[in-house]
Amino acid sequence: MNDTVYYWQALNRALDAEMSVDESVIVMGEDVGLYGGSYRVTEGLYAKYGEWRLRDTPISEGSFTGLGVGAAMVGLRPVVEIMTINFALLALDAIINMAAKIPFMSGGQFPMPLVVRMPGGVAKQLAAQHSQRLEQTLMNVPGLRIAVPATPQDAYWQLCQAIRSDEPIILLEHELLYFSKGSLDVTLEAPPMHRAQVHRQGDDLTIVTYSRMLDLSLRAAEQLAEKGISAEVVDLRSLRPIDWDTCVASLEKTHRLLVVEEDSRFAGAGAEIAAGLTERCFYTLDAAPQRVAALEIPTPFNATLEAASIPRIADIIAAAENLCTN
Amino acid sequence: MESDPLRKMLHDMLLARAFEERAAQEYAQGNIAGFLHLYPGEEAVGVGVLHAAEPADYIVSTYREHVHALVRGVPARVVMAELFGRKTGCSGGLGGSMHLFDAGRRFMGGYAIVGETFPIATGIGYAIAMRELPEAVICFFGDGAVNQGTFHESLNMAALWKLPVLFVCENNHYQIGTEIHRHSAVAEVYKRAAAYRIPARRIDGMDVLAVHQASVDALQQIRAGNGPQFLECETYRFRGHSMADPGSYRPKVELQAFEEREDPLKIAIAETVVAYPDAEQIAASGANNIERLKAHLNEGNHLSAEQLAGIEQEITEQVEDAVCFAGDSPEPTLADAQAALDCNRQGEVLL
Amino acid sequence: MQEPILMPTLSDTMESGKLIQWLKQPGEVVKKGDVLAEVETDKAVMDVEAFHDGYLLGPLAAAESDIPVGTVIGYISDTPQKNQQAETTAEAAAAAKEAVREAQRASPPSNRTTAKKKASIQTTHPVARPEPSVPTVTDPSGVKASPYARGLAHELGVDLNQPRAGADGVIRASQVLAAALAGPGPNLEAGPAYRYKLFTSMHKAVADNMIAAVATPTFRINARLPLAPLKALAHAQQLSLTLLLARACALCVQQHPNFNAVYTARALVVRKQVDVGIAVDVPGGLLTPVLRDAAQRPIAELNEDWRILRDKIKRNRLGPNDYQGATFYLSNLGMFEQVSHFDAIVPLGAAAILSLGAEQEVKAEFTLSCDHRVVFGADAARFLQTLALLLNEPKGLGITATSASS
Repeated sequence: MNDTVYYWQALNRALDAEMSVDESVIVMGEDVGLYGGSYRVTEGLYAKYGEWRLRDTPISEGSFTGLGVGAAMVGLRPVVEIMTINFALLALDAIINMAAKIPFMSGGQFPMPLVVRMPGGVAKQLAAQHSQRLEQTLMNVPGLRIAVPATPQDAYWQLCQAIRSDEPIILLEHELLYFSKGSLDVTLEAPPMHRAQVHRQGDDLTIVTYSRMLDLSLRAAEQLAEKGISAEVVDLRSLRPIDWDTCVASLEKTHRLLVVEEDSRFAGAGAEIAAGLTERCFYTLDAAPQRVAALEIPTPFNATLEAASIPRIADIIAAAENLCTN
Repeated sequence: MESDPLRKMLHDMLLARAFEERAAQEYAQGNIAGFLHLYPGEEAVGVGVLHAAEPADYIVSTYREHVHALVRGVPARVVMAELFGRKTGCSGGLGGSMHLFDAGRRFMGGYAIVGETFPIATGIGYAIAMRELPEAVICFFGDGAVNQGTFHESLNMAALWKLPVLFVCENNHYQIGTEIHRHSAVAEVYKRAAAYRIPARRIDGMDVLAVHQASVDALQQIRAGNGPQFLECETYRFRGHSMADPGSYRPKVELQAFEEREDPLKIAIAETVVAYPDAEQIAASGANNIERLKAHLNEGNHLSAEQLAGIEQEITEQVEDAVCFAGDSPEPTLADAQAALDCNRQGEVLL
Repeated sequence: MQEPILMPTLSDTMESGKLIQWLKQPGEVVKKGDVLAEVETDKAVMDVEAFHDGYLLGPLAAAESDIPVGTVIGYISDTPQKNQQAETTAEAAAAAKEAVREAQRASPPSNRTTAKKKASIQTTHPVARPEPSVPTVTDPSGVKASPYARGLAHELGVDLNQPRAGADGVIRASQVLAAALAGPGPNLEAGPAYRYKLFTSMHKAVADNMIAAVATPTFRINARLPLAPLKALAHAQQLSLTLLLARACALCVQQHPNFNAVYTARALVVRKQVDVGIAVDVPGGLLTPVLRDAAQRPIAELNEDWRILRDKIKRNRLGPNDYQGATFYLSNLGMFEQVSHFDAIVPLGAAAILSLGAEQEVKAEFTLSCDHRVVFGADAARFLQTLALLLNEPKGLGITATSASS
């Protein structure tokens, strides 16, 4: 059952699996139907499930996301694809003011089985408007859940789980992950959706990271091992809620925290991660927590500058070494 | 028309007026806080439209929705308790005046961000159309909402996919304090629907019978599978935008004219002339819409003066009961709030 | 030579105690077992007992103060010393106050941290030294140390002026450890290069319990019994063998209630229901999830509990309520086919533990390790007799097709 697949294929299989067993699952977004999805995620599904369940929408992010909210209130399970997270800025009212709040402000009367899928992050020279990380905007919204799969297996598991959940869930994907490969076994039992995963054991420091930065962190950890520094790498898999216990257990072993994130440092996701872990682990920390994050500039178009604006493996190694020096 | 439906509509209009006036009183006494948007003057719209709806139809409303909820059948005491922020309210005290919900009555909520009702209603319509059910969605909004992007985006999608949505514009001519000619390049709201090939009518929103008939016709078209319909109901609110708004931006003569208005010519005048009513028109205007309906019922010997007094007495008692119920009800706890937030967890293990 | 008197842990939930009064004066002779002071816990007023003969020695913690468990509240010296009553004053009170504040600061959001904090505080005594009471965070000497280093220094009794700071002028854990482990002890420098690997909280808790359990006078008794009938039943009812073994233990304990007792200095404590703790192997240690009331409750309920417990273990979410308070224990190493038999250490709080090795030639060897202060050899023999009956004829377990299927 174990296959090596692209990340987009894992998402495609998850959609297919859920759509085939539940007729209330629908997918909507720009070019998700006939075209098969900008990143091929819905390839082949239009032919199989028809236009009502694979709905090509006009370019109206605010309204087709809100449409998903309305449909979810009456029992459909919409998976809304927003082509990139940058366009989600136009849909924030639907996500934040509607999806996250209707079940609550109705006193618990309505289901909200809505999934909003969207890639974020810096890809290859898409320039400032198409290269944002907006997780921190959504993290501060009670009522939302945010999953950040970093591997095809997690992409499959978390999308399936998100579709089955009656709560509104944001699935943050990454442009550069769609064509990354990894193993997928659809028969494996999934861990809880928001459970963090320790990808590499280590003793000297804990790298807490998520999404595409997992791969960079693991590669940095390999090089650190050659320098005699043993890094434990924790993939959060989720940004709301955050699995503090897994991180705390790791820090009780290593006593040093390095957060690696692709969004900008100031008030980014890493700020919450560092603060939350400092609150919980203050007396077990042997050094001040450090963050490796993107620079405080909009993403430049120029390739050299673009690469310099987000964390690189060398940045992670340097920060880890600095953290472990004393 | 049979007298019985008429009586029911009159009953609901009287209840609407009494409930809202009492809500204003309770607000002044500090029993209701926050934003409170009242409906007096616009009763013919909500009552006329909702009396044309079936129980299986869905209602999506704005922040000025107490009367929509009442007419839909949400008990007055449950609405009042929500205004008071109590646990017994129709949203458990967590929504308040602007967020009344009743899933059982398919009252899909009051939304307080202008323009939100369009996508919600369109989404519900999508689910109905996909399942090929004989249901419809009624989507209320004000004249101020038609300049939001969601209006155009949602009308486009509703028309594109022939969704069963009845768009009802409660045009009271003001977006808070800005008169329609100062906020819309095209002040005839119904004309905008033409951009999306949605059949639209403008009707006298002060005439409950006209509103009702137009709604019946529109819903019939919708149920026949012909896609969305659009009604612009011209109306007027007698109070400010909310309790915090004295409404002083409106000329007194205008308010008086509407309050006493009866002349159906006014509609035609508004269509063609952009002007405030002149003295002659003011003189010609008569009782407000409730008075008009009362008179109509009396003329047809549908209702005696005693019967009317009986209805009014019953409504007074109902509203009094609602206030007592709300006042005696407990407040929700933080645990209630947490439970509402987690209402869809369904035993899922997150971590 | 002086031994510290610690604020004892007198209940499962106790994190601090209020010192009501001292019943002995400084300088007074005390005998092991004497009541030294009264302490109010979250549940009752309890006695603080002397664990050594000697003389009570100050500084004594102030009466009416709230003190975290494991904090030094006084000393027992083997030589009489001058009356130090005067010192119970400001200094000790301030130290206690500081300790409380420290405990509050450490007040942990997760159970895991609670366990660690508790475990570490309780084990202060092997290395605790009388000199420094509690190092303050705002060190007057201006020492810069990481929060973790400060906590370690406190636990290990290291004066923060002692370690040499790192290159950046900050004392970290490694420097505190080096200072603590300097001097007498194994000569680490003579051996190969090394690094310190601190105990995990689970490891620490197990180690501490084992040290404490060594004091239990234990005897062992063995029997070779058949497992086939029980396995057949487990297979037929789709229940785990471990669950059925636990049920069998519970029924034996119910029939021999002395096995549900625990020794205390003044009386046997006889419990009203049988809670069976089951040793489970987990990475980095050992856990003992507890099946409550395992003799009386329907097997379907126990089966559901067992499923939930195993799930929690898998997810690393087993809480103290899940693993504390068993009255009898079961330890099964039968899955290792080389293990013919073994004897387990009787955990604190129980009178006995039953262990079994792998099935060899249709029988498995069971070992019942018992606290001889509670039960005697013939009791244990009768226990195994009952067990043999149940294993031969598992109908006695009270499992019907209906009870297991729900």
